[in-house]
Amino acid sequence: MLESYIPIMLVLSFALIFAVVMINLSSLLGPSKPDKEKLSTYESGMEPIGTARERFSVKYYMVAVSFILFDLEVVFLYPWAISFINFPKAEMVYSLIVALIFIFILFVGLIYEYKKGVLKWD
Amino acid sequence: MEQTIISLKNFIPECVLIVTILVCLLADLIVRKKSAVVAVIGIAGLFVSGWFVIGQFGVKESVFFGMVVIDPYSVFFKLLFIVSTVFIILFSLASKEIKDSTHTNEHVYLMISLTLGANLMASSVNMLMMYLALETVSITSYVLAGYMKKSKRSSEAAMKYVIYGAASSGIMIYAMSLLYGYTGSMNIFEISSILSKMGGTNPMLVIVMVMILAGFGYKISSVPFHFWTPDVYEGAPIPVTGFLAVTSSAAGFAVLIRFFSVTFLKSTTMLNGSLQIIDGIRWTEIIIVLSVASMIIGNFVAVWQMSFKRLLAYSSIAQGGYIMLGLVVANQQGLTAIFVYLVAYMIMNLGAFYALIMISNKLNSDDINDMKGFAYRAPAVAVGMGIFMFALSGIPATVGFVGKFYLFSALIESNMIWLALVGMMNSVVSLFFYIKVLKYMFLSKPDEENSGKIYYGIAGYVLLFILVIPTLLLGIYFGPIVRFAEMSAVMFGLK
Amino acid sequence: MTKYFLLVTLLPLFGFLINILFGKRINSEKFSGYLSSFLVFVPFFITFLVFLDFISVPPESRKIVLNYFNWIAAGKLSINYSFVLDPLSITMVMVVTGIGFLIHVYSIGYMHGDESFARFFSYLNLFIFAMLNLVLADNFLLVFLGWEGVGLCSYLLIGFWSEKKFTGDAAKKAFIVNRIGDFGFMTAMFLIFANFGTLEISGFLGNIAGMPVNSVLLTAIALLFFLGATGKSAQIPLFVWLPDAMAGPTPVSALIHAATMVTAGIYLIARTSVLYALSPTASQIVLIVGILTALISATIALKQNDIKKILAYSTISQLGFMFIALGTMSYGVAIFHLITHAFFKALMFLGSGSVIHAMHDEQDIRNMGGLKNKMKITYITFLVGAFAISGIPPLSGFFSKDEILYQTFINAGILPYIIVLFTAALTAFYMFRLTGLTFFGKARYDENKVHPHESPRTMTIPLIILGILSAVGGFIGLPHFTGLPNYLERWLEPVFTNANRVIQLYKPEGHHAVSVEILLLILSVLVAAGVIYFAFKKFSKQERFEKEKGFGKILENKYYLDEIYDKSVVEPVQNTSEFFLWKIFDVKIIDGFVNGISFYVSRLSIDWRKIQTGIIQDYATITIAGVVLIILYFIFA
Repeated sequence: MLESYIPIMLVLSFALIFAVVMINLSSLLGPSKPDKEKLSTYESGMEPIGTARERFSVKYYMVAVSFILFDLEVVFLYPWAISFINFPKAEMVYSLIVALIFIFILFVGLIYEYKKGVLKWD
Repeated sequence: MEQTIISLKNFIPECVLIVTILVCLLADLIVRKKSAVVAVIGIAGLFVSGWFVIGQFGVKESVFFGMVVIDPYSVFFKLLFIVSTVFIILFSLASKEIKDSTHTNEHVYLMISLTLGANLMASSVNMLMMYLALETVSITSYVLAGYMKKSKRSSEAAMKYVIYGAASSGIMIYAMSLLYGYTGSMNIFEISSILSKMGGTNPMLVIVMVMILAGFGYKISSVPFHFWTPDVYEGAPIPVTGFLAVTSSAAGFAVLIRFFSVTFLKSTTMLNGSLQIIDGIRWTEIIIVLSVASMIIGNFVAVWQMSFKRLLAYSSIAQGGYIMLGLVVANQQGLTAIFVYLVAYMIMNLGAFYALIMISNKLNSDDINDMKGFAYRAPAVAVGMGIFMFALSGIPATVGFVGKFYLFSALIESNMIWLALVGMMNSVVSLFFYIKVLKYMFLSKPDEENSGKIYYGIAGYVLLFILVIPTLLLGIYFGPIVRFAEMSAVMFGLK
Repeated sequence: MTKYFLLVTLLPLFGFLINILFGKRINSEKFSGYLSSFLVFVPFFITFLVFLDFISVPPESRKIVLNYFNWIAAGKLSINYSFVLDPLSITMVMVVTGIGFLIHVYSIGYMHGDESFARFFSYLNLFIFAMLNLVLADNFLLVFLGWEGVGLCSYLLIGFWSEKKFTGDAAKKAFIVNRIGDFGFMTAMFLIFANFGTLEISGFLGNIAGMPVNSVLLTAIALLFFLGATGKSAQIPLFVWLPDAMAGPTPVSALIHAATMVTAGIYLIARTSVLYALSPTASQIVLIVGILTALISATIALKQNDIKKILAYSTISQLGFMFIALGTMSYGVAIFHLITHAFFKALMFLGSGSVIHAMHDEQDIRNMGGLKNKMKITYITFLVGAFAISGIPPLSGFFSKDEILYQTFINAGILPYIIVLFTAALTAFYMFRLTGLTFFGKARYDENKVHPHESPRTMTIPLIILGILSAVGGFIGLPHFTGLPNYLERWLEPVFTNANRVIQLYKPEGHHAVSVEILLLILSVLVAAGVIYFAFKKFSKQERFEKEKGFGKILENKYYLDEIYDKSVVEPVQNTSEFFLWKIFDVKIIDGFVNGISFYVSRLSIDWRKIQTGIIQDYATITIAGVVLIILYFIFA
């Protein structure tokens, strides 16, 4: 019964270890020159305290929104990838094409973003 | 998988639209800003899709696991949407507002996306699908309403629209969840058969119906869900306003009519043609209330509007009220009348909006005061506008009269004479403001400083003419639209 | 050929559209004129081919119904846009398009230089379109549309030169008087629909075929249609508009007010001949009205001095002759006279147009004279027309008029015959008064100022063609005693078979005494010739004109009919409408009601408008309140 949870345990512990190692590794390897700006709560986000009627740069949000979008779309691919193995041979090509169409549509979105200059920072 | 493939076969028109959207989107990235290529591609795509839709005429099938159906009813609406979208894209090419805004071609694929959503609204038979389709239409409309980025009014309109739309669909989805909880199904045919067994005395059903109407009613701008209409119509660019008035509200009708006439009819009587409402569910009465309220508020408030766009907003609220009259009858004849009216409504509204585009392109205003003596400055356009105004008010020998004639005769034959009388009286009131426009255009002299003649390109006149012709011709020879409507008034699962 | 038959009506409509939409922009007289004429000639040609088809098939199969589309279908009412092709309609189409074509060509010359040249031709084409619909339609509604259409064109063309107030008044008069006739037509249609459930002509005629003779319903329908016919075909009591209609351009008078539109009433009765055959009472009334109209207008024509007015009264009188033929139930004869009259009256109107053109818009024959040397072609053709209308053999009018005289004699009796013969004599008299004063004698105009000259070729060629037709047109309907075939009668026979069968039911076959026929013929020729000689002698030399006295003055003033109508009908109606309908009923009651409504609508509008505050919180509140209210209402009510 509990054995079936072992993969999950593995994933969880791997994620934990990976995160801890990465964070510590970066602080060990990277140069560290802290200043006031860097130490604030949301380094490149908005000020947590202050007037609400503030002008702010929209670029950060553009990237954030597209990240969420693509991230969510990728979630759809997980169940597809899992069940792909179990498809009979004849349907494999078909389901591959379907997935490719899906990815293509996403891709068009990416091109659109790129061309419209969403990913350009300056 | 086979089910999916069969479904896809019946889904070709929508697939074509999706491909068109993608191609337009990519083309827009490549071509110059002022180029009409994207619009041409879009129109071509719409034609191809329309071609496949025509091929579906007579088909009656349920596809995608009972999510969507293909039936003459949905085919009718799809054709209506596609035709009006083609016209709206042409309008947007002519519109100065659109041309002057920074992103010139995005509206084309936004409009086609809206058409896609509208097509799905017309053919969905599952509440979830209905909601998704409705949101597709709504979200694109929000973007389109705020299309003129630099205009404060446009942005305000979009913002109000978003808030209002979100609230309405929130109310609706809550009601849908209630209905799902009550019956245990999302498919309207199943809901109908379950409700027929249970009976409809539960007061919760009234709450459900009214709240669902909040969602659909906001799309067709029925009172009391109409408040966004004047503000959004006024703020949005005119082609978009026309689009909202025609396609978006027709889509609202498509889903509203299907939902109510399938869900709340006795499933046992569905197949023999004599439609009977499930005992205890008095949805037609709710529709009567909304319809009468829409006609009265729409027509009466329009009388004092001096902004042409606001006037058309109230006019379309009132027109929506007329169309709902046909739903009250809840039979084949009523449905036919609605279809006839929708065709008429599409033609004359498109015409009115196009004439308004022509006028406001030159005057940079939609204030009726500024149109004083317009007939002296551009007679052809003024006459065209006059014809559309007469048609909208339902004067004989125009297509508008035919629409009203069939609606009222359907009511009279079902012994709802008083309702027909209310409708006719409202038509009289509507004359006040439709004719008022003409009074300004034809009877007052233009102001001294702007009394010069106004000329348009030949294409403008041709497009106007293309819209005037059916307005008059179908008013005299209306056999074909009536027959088309009769053939189309066939829903999946109903006789 | 019937496959392309829709073109017959579509081409003139097309011409109308082209000329009205682009005529002014193209601004080429040649283009507008020739295009319009061509678009009238092609229908004539097509119809002629159909005619050839028809005479090669047996008489029983000479009827085709062309059903184009279902026009209106609402409940019981189903109207098809369909044409009926039979000898009668083909004859009418050929007359309309044939003469129409000649007059189109003539107008190219006549209207030369007019500001609104294209507009004129567009109206002419529209008229042809409407007239063809009228004669081809297979249901009464479509006939009525054509009927109104020709009325509209007539109105537009009478008032064509609307700068003159006079033409506007004349146009209005024609319009209003015709409304009375239309009332009859419409009521007849309602009766037919209410009692027979159809508006199809052939269906209706088939339905009534078995009904008893002289039933009240049929007599009522027949009389109502006849009321319509008296309006359009200018018979007593509704003939007063036609003389005034001469204010329009002369080709219009020729086409609409002589050859075609005014014969619509004749056509209508001939088309529904079964109905009139079933109602001898109605036929009797038609006969009496015809005789009275023929006589009275012929007497008025005696003392008129305006060249077009004389022709106008003559037209009314000749239309009276046709109604006499209809009244005696000889429908074929009426159509025969319709055709010949179309030839010679169009000819004479065009001739008079040529004269007016030459005399620089002078229309008073007292100021003419001696034109025969200056305008040879006009003179000769006009003379042919005058002889034809007077009934001199072997010109066309002789055959058709004598057929009418003969039918009157055997079907109506001796007294009507004498009146009609007398009217025919009057016709010859006023026609030769006109001819004598215009073309003979010395010039009574100022020869230094006016230089009459022959008209251009576009005008003279139609004159010559019409002249030839007026001369030989009568040979299509030779009298029986000659032993030669009567082509027209044979051709039209299948149309009137049913009517004749009905007539035979209650009326014994009249015995045809050949000797009587020949005797009557000789008598009428002698009368005509004598009168012509007398009139010619009197007027070809006349130079001085005295004021009319006594009866002559009454005639000159048209029996004061216009004044009587003014006092007895127009003024009372105007007074009622001004003092009651307008000042009390309209201003106080209707306007008060309408203004009251509009006031309250405005008030409500102002108040309700305030709900739309523009603040979205308010919207949400009201919406939710509305939802709650509706829910509460339906749960607790």
